[in-house]
Amino acid sequence: MSPDIRETPAPPPATVSISRARDYFSVPAPIKRIFDHFPLVTYPPNDLPLRAGSSIRGNRLFVFTDAKGARRGSPSFNPQCLKWQVRTNHSCANVFLDFTIVPSSNHASPTGSLPFLLPTLPTDTSAPIPSAKLQKWAIEQVHCEEEQQLNLRFDVYASLLDHRIRNAYLYTLYLDSDNFEAVARRLYVDPSTTNALVRTALSVQLQQAARAELLKTSQYIDVSALEAEASEAFEALSTLLADDKHFFGRLNPGLFDASVFAYTHLILDENMGWKRDRLGQLLKQHENLVQHRERLLKFF
Amino acid sequence: MVLELHVWGPAFSLPSIDAQCLATIAYLSLTVPKDAWVLVASSDPSVCPTNELPALKIGSTWISRFRNIVDYLRQYSNGEWDLDRGLTSEEKADNIAFSSFIESRAHPLLDLSLYVTSQNYYEATAPAYARILQWPNQWILPPQRHTAAKTLTEPLGLSSLDLSAIEEQRKRDVSAAVAAGQLPQSFLNKPHPSTTAGGISSFLGRNPHHQGQFRLEALTAELFEPLEEILAKDSSPPRTYLLGGAAAGGDEHPHSVDCVALGYLALALVPDVPYGWLRDAMRKNPRVMAYAERMRKTCFGDRAVEVADAYYYGRGSAALATATTGFPWQVPDRPSLVTVGWTVWNTVADAVPILRDLRVNNRLREAAQSPQSGLSGVESKTLAAYATGQKKDILVSVVAVVGGIAALVGYMVSAGTFSSGEEEEEEKEEYSGEEGEMMPLTEVDPESFQMGNILSSLEGMQEL
Repeated sequence: MSPDIRETPAPPPATVSISRARDYFSVPAPIKRIFDHFPLVTYPPNDLPLRAGSSIRGNRLFVFTDAKGARRGSPSFNPQCLKWQVRTNHSCANVFLDFTIVPSSNHASPTGSLPFLLPTLPTDTSAPIPSAKLQKWAIEQVHCEEEQQLNLRFDVYASLLDHRIRNAYLYTLYLDSDNFEAVARRLYVDPSTTNALVRTALSVQLQQAARAELLKTSQYIDVSALEAEASEAFEALSTLLADDKHFFGRLNPGLFDASVFAYTHLILDENMGWKRDRLGQLLKQHENLVQHRERLLKFF
Repeated sequence: MVLELHVWGPAFSLPSIDAQCLATIAYLSLTVPKDAWVLVASSDPSVCPTNELPALKIGSTWISRFRNIVDYLRQYSNGEWDLDRGLTSEEKADNIAFSSFIESRAHPLLDLSLYVTSQNYYEATAPAYARILQWPNQWILPPQRHTAAKTLTEPLGLSSLDLSAIEEQRKRDVSAAVAAGQLPQSFLNKPHPSTTAGGISSFLGRNPHHQGQFRLEALTAELFEPLEEILAKDSSPPRTYLLGGAAAGGDEHPHSVDCVALGYLALALVPDVPYGWLRDAMRKNPRVMAYAERMRKTCFGDRAVEVADAYYYGRGSAALATATTGFPWQVPDRPSLVTVGWTVWNTVADAVPILRDLRVNNRLREAAQSPQSGLSGVESKTLAAYATGQKKDILVSVVAVVGGIAALVGYMVSAGTFSSGEEEEEEKEEYSGEEGEMMPLTEVDPESFQMGNILSSLEGMQEL
């Protein structure tokens, strides 16, 4: 037997090595046979909860707010949401864009972040519109001008809001322990659950997310630098507004006004209950920004 | 007193590999007289207590970050070393806004270009780091920087630039498919791009980068177009710098925003990388190109900076180095054994899960406790107390988790002992009942089956 094998050495090792490779990568046959039976039954998807398919007609904007706030249409406590709430309330789009505020949490959003909008107009596709595409959608709906194209400084000054002021705000809200306990816990954590363990976990997650966001751009969180940068940003915005009623000399508030208001309102709002109000102190030095906020607040 | 500016070392024929360092070097070379400062390419953030570069050392005081250094220089020289003197309030606002704009837009683009784009990282950036770093940092810092860049640019959704990630994903997909029995074995070792999710890309073009092409163009346009526009604005004579200019009636000189712009634009323009999409995008904006070239000439001179400048010419006096290379280089101190040990310890500690969280909190506390952080006494005290409280929180949660697991195990053990008497008997019965049925299954062992086949085929051959 053995001499014959030596004469034909090639095929057997090949077969053996393949079967060995299969051992590493393939599922053992008995287990595979069991799993071939799955899924045994596929159930149809559950119906939506009754409250979700509410009787509200028209566009629905999902924001961070409570039920009472949603009824009265009062400002949301999240800057990103507030920005769009203002925008859709009384910019050029307001006449056509009638919408209802729906209290929500980011677990409900398809992208994981609020706000998003469920439009009614194209009835065939009820795809939600995330915040990043809201402006494009609004422009398509009512054919109004895009503000970015009107002024080259729009994007440049918007970066102040999106980075400097946002970073300082993130720190003030989430990483400052007094403010976190007094404000963020009450607004973001407590409404979502009554379970103490889940609340603790949620707040730790929130704080870690904020910290990770701040550490993305720098090696360590320098509080004084954050505050100094926010102060500079307020100063620049104040100069840009000058004595005008709205930014860039517009007659009606636009997207930029809404973005500024989203932060200035929350920083200056008494109801937020800030414990350590450094940003408020910095902001109050610029009288025209404070007045600008009051002017926009009247729309609510 | 001589100011010591510690920076990341030279690369790509620029005096530093980091945009913020380039901006600071430009600022100092425009303001501070050449004999009043030296440039140290220490390339190791741990020299500075805040663990950041660029850092300015005056005596025993350390100032880090571009903006802090600019502020400090103004105070230190009683307003003499200040590029932003005499700006009108509108220009001051523009100065702040454009700095923020360039930093926020250009930082992710540079990270994408130099770190996330695989060819560029492995063929240009990583070798450049290798030339300026000393052991063991050359094994530690570039991968750290690489990971940080990936995290920063993740939300932009341009992972198609990252070839290594694509390759990993492809391998994972293929081996998953093979394991599920959908693909034959032979696919495992054969590179086969069309099996990936982006198979259509092979039709659009051979380069997988084409996937992100439109997105990249939009991103680069967001940065360059406003700059192009402001440089072109009211331009009977074209503007030399971002602010002021002949049209405004002021004398033309660069401001701090120009230094920031130079730092980022130079790293987009100068490096000769294998896949130069950022430079190509910049070429579409001729005024920005001309502006970057001009600023580079003004601040860094005509001579291309070599790595040897920092480590060879720096041995002599600063004046000699300035005469030869244009910068007052000084050779960095050789790292002591303690420094090396400290670096290794930091790296290991940052890789350990719970320890890492503790250390992240420390980064906040150090900032508050360091005396030059500019906080008032009360503020820094509350901050430090907060950071300590956080630390306690984490310890408490660690204890809680350990306690919880212990309680669970304890419960399971006690529950098991309580009900063991009855259940064990049932289990035994079931087991003996099943055993008979199980037997045939064990006989159908696939391996023995195959071996049997092989043996029989062998025997068949023998007969032949």
